Amino acid sequence: MRSHVLQCRSRVATAIYDLLDPVAFGLFVAALIFDIVYGYSPEVLWGKGAAWLLAIGLVFAIIPRFINLAHVWIVGRRTAAGAEKLDFWLNLVAIVAAIVNAFVHSRDAYAVIPEGIWLSIVTVALLCVARIVLAFHKADFGELRHE
Amino acid sequence: MNKILRASVAAAAVALALGGCDNRAELDPAAQIGPDPQLPQARNFLVPPMQVPKGVGWQENATPKVAAGLRIEKIAGGLMHPRQVYVLPNDDVLVVESNSPGTEATTTPKKLLSGMIMRRSGKSGKGGNRITLLRKKADGGQWEQHVFLEHLNSPFGVQLIGNTLYVANTDNIMKYAYTPGETRITDPGTELADLPSTINHHWTKALLASPDGTKLYVGVGSNSNITENGLEVEYRRAAVLEVDVASGASRVFASGLRNPTGLGWEPQTGRLWAIVNERDEIGADLVPDYLTSVQEGGFYGWPYSYYGQHVDARVSPQRPDLVKKAIKPDYALSSHVAPLGMHFYVGSGLPDKYRGGVFVAEHGSWDRSPLNGYKVGYVAFQDGKPVGKVEPVVTGFVSDDEKALYGAPVGLAEDREGALLIADDVGNSVWRVAAGGG
Repeated sequence: MRSHVLQCRSRVATAIYDLLDPVAFGLFVAALIFDIVYGYSPEVLWGKGAAWLLAIGLVFAIIPRFINLAHVWIVGRRTAAGAEKLDFWLNLVAIVAAIVNAFVHSRDAYAVIPEGIWLSIVTVALLCVARIVLAFHKADFGELRHE
Repeated sequence: MNKILRASVAAAAVALALGGCDNRAELDPAAQIGPDPQLPQARNFLVPPMQVPKGVGWQENATPKVAAGLRIEKIAGGLMHPRQVYVLPNDDVLVVESNSPGTEATTTPKKLLSGMIMRRSGKSGKGGNRITLLRKKADGGQWEQHVFLEHLNSPFGVQLIGNTLYVANTDNIMKYAYTPGETRITDPGTELADLPSTINHHWTKALLASPDGTKLYVGVGSNSNITENGLEVEYRRAAVLEVDVASGASRVFASGLRNPTGLGWEPQTGRLWAIVNERDEIGADLVPDYLTSVQEGGFYGWPYSYYGQHVDARVSPQRPDLVKKAIKPDYALSSHVAPLGMHFYVGSGLPDKYRGGVFVAEHGSWDRSPLNGYKVGYVAFQDGKPVGKVEPVVTGFVSDDEKALYGAPVGLAEDREGALLIADDVGNSVWRVAAGGG
């Protein structure tokens, strides 16, 4: 059943997803690091850097999120695993948090702190959980195939 | 799919509710005019209050509206972003055509978007970087236009001391020999003093000569809204500088004035006054722009506080020692009116009620909904202090539905007959308001 799902997914779409999704994740992690540094230093460079990282991260997230939407809810609407659906929802909430955070980062000077740090933590934490859920699922799936 | 759709709609609704709710002004501007403005709690927003009318210019013979007992005429049109008017002793009128040098780098995603909004409003029209001279023809009625001085660098303030003309570019003060009656400056000019000109977030340099002609006072705006470009770029900014005319040496005369765009001598006491544009993005009703006397060595709060000891939490590090000594300005003009021109009226051409007080040109800003400003107002003075409310004198720069912007007043001056001259940098015109009409 599951292998059938994977076969239905376009190889090209999967490749694009695998290329772009980690870029967005990396940018959000970098934004969190910049926010934490900004929280301890009044140098505006860090706040402005975090604003760019979030904005660029959101742009990079658009295509992989749509591919994931199609994979989980269109191609695999009857067959997608619970873990994949959970991954979808965790990502959705993370992206909403990042969008709100991009607006918080449009504030001037230290008005970004502390909300900006909290929202960056939420975004990165949700994305981490999603990745772990998916990794466990893939590991289970691999074991199944070997049996 | 339905579930996703519902979730997406819910997520969008949450984002909108967080961003768009409750941003409109709640206070009547009248509650923020005078020596003790009401100051609501400062707030941070996801999307700060904003309303941008579209710059359309004046249609055919349309003019601003004037108060009873006044009439208005256009004495020059087709100019390149006129910001200041200055009357020479022979009644020739200098019009400074200028706009931002556009040197501020795009250092944030917000700046990228705000640049796009700015182009829509008509306030980013290209500046002429020149001064045009207007002279009334002998037969009356018409006005001649002469290109008086070219190749300037975002000029704003202009002052004549004796037969020397001083022009405040965004980066320096230039001096030129002026021969009375000439319609074009031929002198290449020499630099008297340099002025702070990195970034130029606020680029205008207002200029005022002391009555004895020995000093020039320069209004230098901050390099940010509220230190978002770092504190190091605010050196000698948000200040009134005093320049010695003989040597060109300068010093900070008063500080903490976020963007002092106009300076003037109060005629009764002879004290220096300024109009100042206050900070944005902490509410539609914060912070009121103001009119204040400027004390030598005085600190007026920016960036650390406003109206005395109201601390701005957006600045890091905070400076309680400076907040403690921040002077409360004399007279609030209400929030986001963007005063860009002031003139103490000393003539007698206008009706009696306009004697001894100050005209203030409120250019209007986008940081408040509904809009505020977009008019020329008059503030009466008694014993050297402003009294009462701002009385509207010239209005109708924005359409009744607040969607279309016909013009916006900037610099003010008074000609020999006592008429009020107004530079209009959206309508690209100069207006003359005199007594008469109904």
